[in-house]
Amino acid sequence: MDLLFFMYLTNGIVMGIIFALSALGVSLIVGIMNVINFAHGELYILAGYISYILSVKIGIPYYFAIPITILLIFIIGILIEQSLIRPTYGNDMYSLIITFILSIVIQNFALLVFGPFPNKPPNWVLGSTNIFGIFQYGNQRIISCLVAIGIIIIVFLLIKKTWFGKTVRAVSQDRETASIMGIDTSKVNMFSFGFGCALAGAAGVVLSPIFPVTPLAGVEISLLAFIILVIGGMGSLWGCIIGGLVIGIVQSLGAAYISSGYKDIFGFIILILVLSMRPAGLFGRKTL
Amino acid sequence: MRLTRCAWIFLVAVTFFSAVIFYPTVSISADTIKIGVAGPRTGSAAATGQAFEEGIALALDYINTEGGLLGKKVEVVFEDTGGVPEKGVAVLEKLVNRDKVAIVVGTSHSSVGIAISEHANRYKIPFIVAESWADVITSKNYKYIFRAGPCNSGVVSEILKWLKSEGFQKATVVAENTDWGLGIKKLTLNGLKTANIEFQTVDTERKSRDHYTELAKIKKYDPEIILAFVYGFGVHYFIAQAREIGLTPKAIIFEGAGPPSLWPQFWENVGNAGNLECFISSMHKSAQPNQVAKDYWNNYVKKFGKDPSDYKSRSIYRVLLIAFDAIKRANSLDGDKLVDALEKSNVTVPSGQVKFGKEKGSVWYHQFQPPMLFIQWQDRKQTVIFPKNVATGELIRK
Repeated sequence: MDLLFFMYLTNGIVMGIIFALSALGVSLIVGIMNVINFAHGELYILAGYISYILSVKIGIPYYFAIPITILLIFIIGILIEQSLIRPTYGNDMYSLIITFILSIVIQNFALLVFGPFPNKPPNWVLGSTNIFGIFQYGNQRIISCLVAIGIIIIVFLLIKKTWFGKTVRAVSQDRETASIMGIDTSKVNMFSFGFGCALAGAAGVVLSPIFPVTPLAGVEISLLAFIILVIGGMGSLWGCIIGGLVIGIVQSLGAAYISSGYKDIFGFIILILVLSMRPAGLFGRKTL
Repeated sequence: MRLTRCAWIFLVAVTFFSAVIFYPTVSISADTIKIGVAGPRTGSAAATGQAFEEGIALALDYINTEGGLLGKKVEVVFEDTGGVPEKGVAVLEKLVNRDKVAIVVGTSHSSVGIAISEHANRYKIPFIVAESWADVITSKNYKYIFRAGPCNSGVVSEILKWLKSEGFQKATVVAENTDWGLGIKKLTLNGLKTANIEFQTVDTERKSRDHYTELAKIKKYDPEIILAFVYGFGVHYFIAQAREIGLTPKAIIFEGAGPPSLWPQFWENVGNAGNLECFISSMHKSAQPNQVAKDYWNNYVKKFGKDPSDYKSRSIYRVLLIAFDAIKRANSLDGDKLVDALEKSNVTVPSGQVKFGKEKGSVWYHQFQPPMLFIQWQDRKQTVIFPKNVATGELIRK
């Protein structure tokens, strides 16, 4: 057996976890609010830029820059929900258009302020590690993957085990009944949107040391997140994890054994296969 | 029936006269002479747009202090192609039909250059290509299309000379899946076969950010040199990740597009992995072939307060000087007269004396190939390593 297979598989799993983290926020917002946030990728790059400014320009250590960035993106998310999303409730198309416009505004803002060049905060760790004597793997990737797993676990615990999670799941399952039971659905929406945006921010700060951000990098992040969302099932957090892993592994093995020149196409092939066999995605709809 | 026939005649007549009236023509009567520039200001090679802006500013300073052209001030209309062929065509349509430019220059990205040249030739508007390298742009031998910049055949010929002079025996060719990448890969493979250099090929996605899979394949092959034909920021990730998996510095990466190794964030993105990386360029402070090149360098420093780094600012400057010279000698903005003047060009630009090839049936028709330099980053300083007559140092290998 080709020993490099283990390297391809490991990289596929690492990339899959990274993809899943990038898509988790979108899934959460769709599941709870039925809002498709087209500006998700742009919030990701915004987090990358904020983290870059805090750690490179201002000189704040990365372990302080990370929570500050996520908090800022959370606040930005709440402001977006209050000013742009709230007036569109009841019409999915309006929220879709408004987040699409927002994505273009953020792209151009980033281009104006940061220019077209890629920017990245410094690596948290340098060098690489020899994995079982088979291959070398970048330390930053390993640490980013571990942090991504940690964030995903926290999100699951928050949704499954806390009072906030219960209210979110209640609103997601039946908004009217939840409202009758005394849950303030407007507040749940606001915090859920902010939380979803903060997850985009978390993905941005964790991944920008590996993949520097550019003003238009968010488009690919959003596209990938939506592919994962559809594969996993709209609004399903487990679907999001499995979708991300499927895309990561298939892309890595496809690039290794079929063609590395058309890596992106494998994700779309999986999407077509899943849609043709399970139109609702692997994990159905709205299962938090 | 008779009415229908009359209506048809009327319709044909209106269409004919509209075509005559609205056909894109440029007259000298306007207050300024407009020249169109097409280039990427957004997308993965947006940095090229910034380099173009600098070159345009210097060229305009030069020509307008000289009194302009044909007694009029010169204006440049710079439009964004985004590195996308369809946008490139839309840019040309706008420049020709709305801005009424006399001549169009630009762009980078071969796919964009190919798309624009098809339409420019149809519009009978001279188009001078600066940095689209695909051979097909000039090998089609279109009357209105010129290139005063590198072509794949010219670049590959220089790469092979360099590989032979350094005695490389085992190479990997990595190419992005674009017109430029696949075109230059094909020519390189033919050259490597002729030169008896063992090789492996790996294709990559232009926008890909993760190259671990490709790099693992390359590491297994264990080449001495990796010829990376990847343009845009993607090559930064490629270089950084090559060090992570332990491929470099044992193998040398040669970046075959050039500017990405000179973009401002290069060192931030690649870190120490950038050391010993080689790249191609048509400009270096130590290799100034004439006074025009020295003037360009000094004027750049005076205007922008730093040394020029991305050679594409000088590329756009070069084609604008050629356009100015052609308009001056043609004493007209008529497309055919400009083509005639361009074919007789004998103008000094920072890269040397421009004379376009006239032999039909090859890539060299309407082609001027600027001399290319091979540069290696050695302790974050550029060292020219080839051609030997302008070299400032030797290639360092580990």
